[in-house]
Amino acid sequence: MVSILLNERLLEIKNLSKSFGEHLVLSNINLTINKKDIFGILGLSGAGKSTLIRCINGLEIFDEGEIYFKDEKVSFNREYRKNVAMIFQQFNLLDQRTVLKNVELAGELFKDPDRRNKAIRYLELVGLSDKLYSYPSQLSGGQKQRVAIARALMSEPEILLCDEATSALDPDTTNQVLALLKELNEKLGLTIIMISHQMNVIEKICNKVAIIDNAKIVESGETQEIFLYPKTEISKKIIYSGHINTKSDDSKLLKVIFNGELDMPLIANIVQDCNIVLSIIYADSKVVNDRVFGQLIFKMPADINDVLKLRKYLELKNINYKEVDASEFF
Amino acid sequence: MRVSFSEIFKMILETLGMTFISCGLAYILGLPTGILLNVTSKKGIMPCKWLNTILSLIINILRSIPCLIIVVLLMQTVRDIFGRATGEWYAIIIPLFVTSFGFVSRMVEQSLAEVDNGKIEAIESLGATKFQIITKVLLPESRASLISGLAVTLVSILGYTSFAYNIGAGGLIAGIWKFYSKNTGDYLSEPFFWIMIIVVILIVQGIQELGLLISKKIDKRRIL
Repeated sequence: MVSILLNERLLEIKNLSKSFGEHLVLSNINLTINKKDIFGILGLSGAGKSTLIRCINGLEIFDEGEIYFKDEKVSFNREYRKNVAMIFQQFNLLDQRTVLKNVELAGELFKDPDRRNKAIRYLELVGLSDKLYSYPSQLSGGQKQRVAIARALMSEPEILLCDEATSALDPDTTNQVLALLKELNEKLGLTIIMISHQMNVIEKICNKVAIIDNAKIVESGETQEIFLYPKTEISKKIIYSGHINTKSDDSKLLKVIFNGELDMPLIANIVQDCNIVLSIIYADSKVVNDRVFGQLIFKMPADINDVLKLRKYLELKNINYKEVDASEFF
Repeated sequence: MRVSFSEIFKMILETLGMTFISCGLAYILGLPTGILLNVTSKKGIMPCKWLNTILSLIINILRSIPCLIIVVLLMQTVRDIFGRATGEWYAIIIPLFVTSFGFVSRMVEQSLAEVDNGKIEAIESLGATKFQIITKVLLPESRASLISGLAVTLVSILGYTSFAYNIGAGGLIAGIWKFYSKNTGDYLSEPFFWIMIIVVILIVQGIQELGLLISKKIDKRRIL
């Protein structure tokens, strides 16, 4: 919400393209990331999202296009790199250094005389003050990623790039790391760009999302908007994947959108009031500012009378719904 | 002919002297060469095909010349440096150094190649210079492998000190051969013959075990 108010443009990617030999990995990418955004880039493996994020900090060189940081064309010098830190799926800590030394390293590179104190401070911030003298091999995955985050913060970056940063972690740990990132975003005003193939990771903390497929950005916008009303095939596939398990027959489905206004036990009411039994095939909701956002997809009843009854009931209750073909999800 | 303990002691010193000094020289040149080979390789941090090819070629040629031939080839050089090419323990140092230099370079190159690329990228993304990548990541992260490589190198150079016999440069192994040639009839029943062999075995085992121990000790990837 805050980002919409501020709306200060921090990073702009213009017409970026990149090929590996004959293979086009990124095609004419355009993105604008505002200050304090948590921007998610979602895509299946091989879609090009990893290459995109690596182009942002210069780990990968692109063929065409420009990147602007604070309206200035990026030249990928050390100063810029200090402003754009990165964390990785495999954490990439140095095994032969203690936790403290790993974090200090970022300061060593620039001969920061205050690096020890700073490192201790950031390790405290990520909740690891009791592990200063441990080695990475003695830490859990979640702890390693926290060290990596502390290391990334050392240069006081404005942008943190997260390359599948939670993909190697279990769901609980993933949530903890995401909560930490959100906290850093709020406390330090850190802008975060994260790529993931997992919808639920992006959905949890990103205010904006871009969906990338086959080297192109196919959709982008506010996270709620994209998740509730995915337009392209690939977005639907990513968003509903693994959730909708009904056979791709020609059965009709009904999709109800919760846009924060509905406040009642919908399914229970339908069952009670209309005497129809429904089978739910997808449901997802989350609470933002005490209002429920989400969606519910269920199979239409087989009996045409039940269908008519249901339609009437939903209209009566002023519920936002849409009838869709099952095939639309596959 | 018999040997005295003081003679054996002298031979031990000679062997250790030629082994460690030539190994030291081999690392002074081989460590930077190994680093260069690694960083200029296709997957390295500064790919440079022509330099890598030239270095590889030199090292491959050097490594394919047998040690004894190197000894012969370098006689004049050794004479120019020390004033003599035979008869003293230090006469073998230069040939041993030249023989093991290529080996050391390859060892170092291999050790550095074991460092995970992700670590290099992480440090690159923090703004490290190429030189910092070498000093902060490549070398420290491969230190366990470098140490065990050093032990292997020492043992192999120790084996090469046999050629000291050919130029009368002394040392334990040459001493054992000399002992045999002077006692061809009954050398196997001579205790001194066996004592010298046991000393060689002890030195080799010592270097190997110590190398392994240090390598394990400084490797923080597996801590209980």
